[in-house]
Amino acid sequence: MYGVLDISTSGLVAQRTRMTVIAQNQANRNTLLNAEGEYEPYRRRITVFAPGDPASGTGEGVRVKEIREDPAPLQARYEPGSPFADADGYVHYPNVNSVIEQMDAMEAQRAYDANIAVAEGTKAIMESVLRLIA
Amino acid sequence: MISGLTDADSLPVLERMMQFASRRQRLLADAVANFDTPGHRPLDVSVTDFQSALGEAVDERRERHSARGGALPLASTDEVRVAGDRLELTPGEANANVLFHDENDRDLDRAMQALAENVMTMRTMTTLHRSRMDLLASALRERP
Repeated sequence: MYGVLDISTSGLVAQRTRMTVIAQNQANRNTLLNAEGEYEPYRRRITVFAPGDPASGTGEGVRVKEIREDPAPLQARYEPGSPFADADGYVHYPNVNSVIEQMDAMEAQRAYDANIAVAEGTKAIMESVLRLIA
Repeated sequence: MISGLTDADSLPVLERMMQFASRRQRLLADAVANFDTPGHRPLDVSVTDFQSALGEAVDERRERHSARGGALPLASTDEVRVAGDRLELTPGEANANVLFHDENDRDLDRAMQALAENVMTMRTMTTLHRSRMDLLASALRERP
């Protein structure tokens, strides 16, 4: 029965990682410069899940396979006065859509809750089984 | 196993059902953990199939022995293999829902309902098992 809790925990870890990525996307919504201070608009990151949990070493559960960049085009805004404007006067802003991120955050939260519910159910089972012995 | 004590009445049936429910809990947890995994199809086993196999075993046991007990002749089904004291599950796809764009056919409501059902089954089985054991204990003590 203990293995079942591992499965739910892997779900919790994966959803929490996803939430971190969403928070990072939201925080960098207007970031135009990279860490070195050069002009390089932030690109949205996407979390990709895959079945199997390396922590327990079984095929059950879930893990974060990769965090990759969203290839969607950057948002171009006409700001000819900006020092970052290109030849046509456009500044490219990050391809982060706040609404999508919020929806994603909500989904991650619900999925987290669902995993908690399963873990609670498993705990209830374990308790009632332990009461058989005691 | 103490013959006549631990295989009396409903105890073997309760034990098998508990085994089944605890194995199934693993599948249900896996389905929920992989809600957002692209291409993942949740697996499940049929409860009704197992219960009808269990029902047949109970009938056969009643014919073979008296109503009071004896071993439970549980037969394997397509999904549930009886290996001595253990149960081995070979689950099939639960495929309850339409495919989403990420080729996952998740169904939160069904998954949660199955989970609630499974936990409740387990609780019922353990409660019945426990009351049976309490009865045994009071018989051993020779006082209520």
